[in-house]
Amino acid sequence: MNFSRYKRELSAALAYLALLVAVGAAAPTFFGAGNLRDLALNNAPVLLVAVGMTLVILVGEIDISVGSQFAVCSVAAGWLAKEGVPVALLLPSVLLLGALMGALNGALVGYLKLPSIIVTLAMLVAWRDALRWVTQGEWVQNLPANFQWFGLGQTLAQWLIVGVALGVLVAFSWMLRNLGAGRAVYAVGSDAEAARLAGIEPRRVVFGVFVLMGALTGLAALLNAVRFSAVPSNAGIGLELKAVAAVVVGGAAITGGRGTLIGTLIGAALLGTIGTALTFVGINPFWEKAIQGAIILAALVSDVALGHFERMRAGGLTLKTAGGAK
Amino acid sequence: MSGAAPQAEARTLKLTAPWRERVFPNNEWVLLVVILFECVVFTITGSNFLGSGNAFEITRLAVEIGLLALVMTPIIITGGIDLSVGSMMGLAAVVLGALWRDAHLPMPLAIALTLGVGALGGLLNALIITRLNFPPLIVTLGTFSLFRGVAEGLTRGIENYSGFSQGFLFLGQGYVGGLVPTQLFILAAAAVGVWWWLQRTAYGRSLYAIGFSAEGARYAGIPVRSRLTLIYVMSGLASSLAAIVYVAHLGQAKSDAGTGYELMAITAVVLGGASIFGGRGTVLGTLLGLFGIVILQNGLRLSAQPAELAGILTGVLLVATILLDRLSTRARTRPARAVNLAEDEEVRNSQVAVLSAVILLGALIVAGSNWVLVRSVRENAGAGAAVVPGTGAQGSNAAKPGGGKKAVVALMPKAKGDPYFVSCKAGADEAAKELGVELLWDGPTDLDPAKQNEVVEAWITRGVDTIAVSVENKAGISTVLRKAKEKGIKVVAWDADAEKDARDFFINQATPQGIGYTLTDEAARITGGKGDFAIITASLSADNQNEWIKFIKERLADKYPDLHLVEIRPSDGDRDRAFAETQTVLKVHPNVKLIMAIAAPAVPGAAEAVKQSGRTDVKVTGLSLPNMCRPYIKEGVIESIVLWNTVDLGYLTVYASNALANGQLKAGDTSIDAGRLGKIEVAGDEVRLGAPFVFNKENIDRFNF
Repeated sequence: MNFSRYKRELSAALAYLALLVAVGAAAPTFFGAGNLRDLALNNAPVLLVAVGMTLVILVGEIDISVGSQFAVCSVAAGWLAKEGVPVALLLPSVLLLGALMGALNGALVGYLKLPSIIVTLAMLVAWRDALRWVTQGEWVQNLPANFQWFGLGQTLAQWLIVGVALGVLVAFSWMLRNLGAGRAVYAVGSDAEAARLAGIEPRRVVFGVFVLMGALTGLAALLNAVRFSAVPSNAGIGLELKAVAAVVVGGAAITGGRGTLIGTLIGAALLGTIGTALTFVGINPFWEKAIQGAIILAALVSDVALGHFERMRAGGLTLKTAGGAK
Repeated sequence: MSGAAPQAEARTLKLTAPWRERVFPNNEWVLLVVILFECVVFTITGSNFLGSGNAFEITRLAVEIGLLALVMTPIIITGGIDLSVGSMMGLAAVVLGALWRDAHLPMPLAIALTLGVGALGGLLNALIITRLNFPPLIVTLGTFSLFRGVAEGLTRGIENYSGFSQGFLFLGQGYVGGLVPTQLFILAAAAVGVWWWLQRTAYGRSLYAIGFSAEGARYAGIPVRSRLTLIYVMSGLASSLAAIVYVAHLGQAKSDAGTGYELMAITAVVLGGASIFGGRGTVLGTLLGLFGIVILQNGLRLSAQPAELAGILTGVLLVATILLDRLSTRARTRPARAVNLAEDEEVRNSQVAVLSAVILLGALIVAGSNWVLVRSVRENAGAGAAVVPGTGAQGSNAAKPGGGKKAVVALMPKAKGDPYFVSCKAGADEAAKELGVELLWDGPTDLDPAKQNEVVEAWITRGVDTIAVSVENKAGISTVLRKAKEKGIKVVAWDADAEKDARDFFINQATPQGIGYTLTDEAARITGGKGDFAIITASLSADNQNEWIKFIKERLADKYPDLHLVEIRPSDGDRDRAFAETQTVLKVHPNVKLIMAIAAPAVPGAAEAVKQSGRTDVKVTGLSLPNMCRPYIKEGVIESIVLWNTVDLGYLTVYASNALANGQLKAGDTSIDAGRLGKIEVAGDEVRLGAPFVFNKENIDRFNF
């Protein structure tokens, strides 16, 4: 095993380890099976979105509209179930809806070369307000009994949700390393022009990545929705920031071309555990946000402390991304 | 790939370019057209849109975001971004309040120190960005959490500084010469200053150079790091200045000041033609972008259109602007890039397809919103709904067969999408139909005291008969409510009270004391008066909840010494967060026998967590809506919920507002006739709906809201 490949992930992993040790010493009950299961379940949707976000960041783009897409997909899943759509058809419908919203982003960013942060900023506002307008804030209630847990029963469905999330992570991780399409993602993120000359179509890769992002958001929304018996209309507020933070804490470069899904897993676990860990240790919740911000900054600084300065050479001073001005 | 860089360079350097390119180097004229179009549409659909009063009101609303956007412009020109400005506003507001009230510093000194804190925060961003070479997006994402978190930590989320002196409040609420809002001068000075600095000095021009290529600028002898440091420090400074104006505008300083402002500022800058990749952007463009958004929001409000349209249209406008810009840049650069011509040709088919799809979609959305607008115009003309001063011509249509004019009642919730207020609206609609009054229903989409002020201002301009507000923050809104009273508009507070002299009547459904005590009594009844319980609240800075908690603690100390409150956790009004917090609380405090959730979405979240944990010995109670909790109440997970009949609350508010408008309700009355509710007691200046009601398994099926 070649560890030098995972240097960046290592600093996040060490931070996570330190957190776990500290919490373990202060409150050993933290490692109870029930707590670990609940943590995994509560963070599975964020992890799925973060997997998609990793792909998007790897090609040098960003998607800050996922929180709004998440809400649209959640409500759509509820409506479909209420309209009598069989549970088995919910998954493909929601995946399709998510993929369509992702495709809109992808077309604008990939084919029309518009900056992703602006396109997705527009979508963040537009989807959220459109949903507010349509639902008027009403929750989707009185869902059929087999909506919750897909009608499979709590224990089985809980395993299924965590299993799907981890399965998606492993599958994408494998594809990124071993498939041509996966390598193309890194190639486009490192240098779109070089990738083009090497026979890769950057536009198609960017488009595809956004479609996947949308589909994964849809999947996350559905898996989250079925844990409850009603669907709120305001889900996923701030989800985009959680996902981006998880990816970055996991060591991916925001400028594209560098990062792994293992890192994203560690980042999501670190940020997803911290709130619960603080409660176990008995730290006042008022300081939670400040501590989260400090962790993001600390992850960045520790990166430097470990002596990796590649980013300097990559011109990290600006937001320039591979798809942008050159 | 864009080729924007060499092109823009050529254009900005060549001083002999045609005037259109010199004034609008990035097609900002498009925005001017959009703004004119907005003005024309809203003059037709809106009431009293056109007029100097409204024009100045619009600028007042634009000042805080304008300040952020002005300083965001140079940052984006250098290819950076600052997401922490909104959070810095929260921190600066809290610091200002603490220095002034708790440290007893004179106001000018407190302001100076607050500006210093802003500059320090900016310096922190700057140092990490320039010394450690991290992308601004990530660094400011970190400080986005950090600054807001420190603000919340310092104040425990609860502290709300108010009672500022009139002299200070004049800065945010006063008029110079009776017409021009005071803070407009700050914005104007800042705009001229930034414009001069950015576009007329070598220093400012060097920022464009950095934006094109930081490396190239460095080789050209520009001290890139110190220049970048300065603009991030300025950004922090501008944020704290915006916070000071915000505090003076609302008359209160709280840790949630400026939430979400960073996105609005960025939107304004990008709409104004600045390139997010750096090297391009003008102050004029930013100002046009800013007013494009603000006029849209104001106009929709005056036309009584759903505020959600603003978000959708802003999104469409944003994409359309950059799309147009991209196309015109491409058209002009193509000859210069002959090498890539072949690729461009080859691209065209697919691009044309995508483009057509996008334009079609945009057209559909615009057509849809036009349809809504036109329909509203028809309704106005047909039904003669708008009986407002200045549109007397329609007044004749408005006369109903029974005589007497149709009153316009404007009702504002704390947050439009909140299920609690959605159920209030059902009652309000019912009453409006019975009485034949025109009901306007508008408010912030999320809890936001600044937005509440904006809506009231718009209603004053529009001219309504009664304004009824569920007040998010007393100190914040009372000034503008007094202004409404001065203009002869009747003012009612409902659900949550304003300052007494700022309203005519208060529709009182329950006092915070009543709610706190009832909740505590329920908790004692369920637990048998002893044991541990935990509270899941809304956000940590929610005023209402904090006041209830105060009375809960008071009641506990007085009557139930054996009942212990062991933990208070926030849910941010998010059911899923309430769910996760409850799970954690149950594990950290295994002795907890009761979860008391005091925000409507938090109760079903807590109930689901208890249900899934399999702990049948733990019960849930709290403050929520019957429909949301019905399944859990029937299953016995939720023992009971405390609330009043929210539908009746909306119903009563409209009845009282209407009675006030046509003189049936006056000071000194002891009762009011409220339709199906019969006679309702009026005590002093309060209309009383009745005591809080406890919903449980037995009676829940009698209610549907």
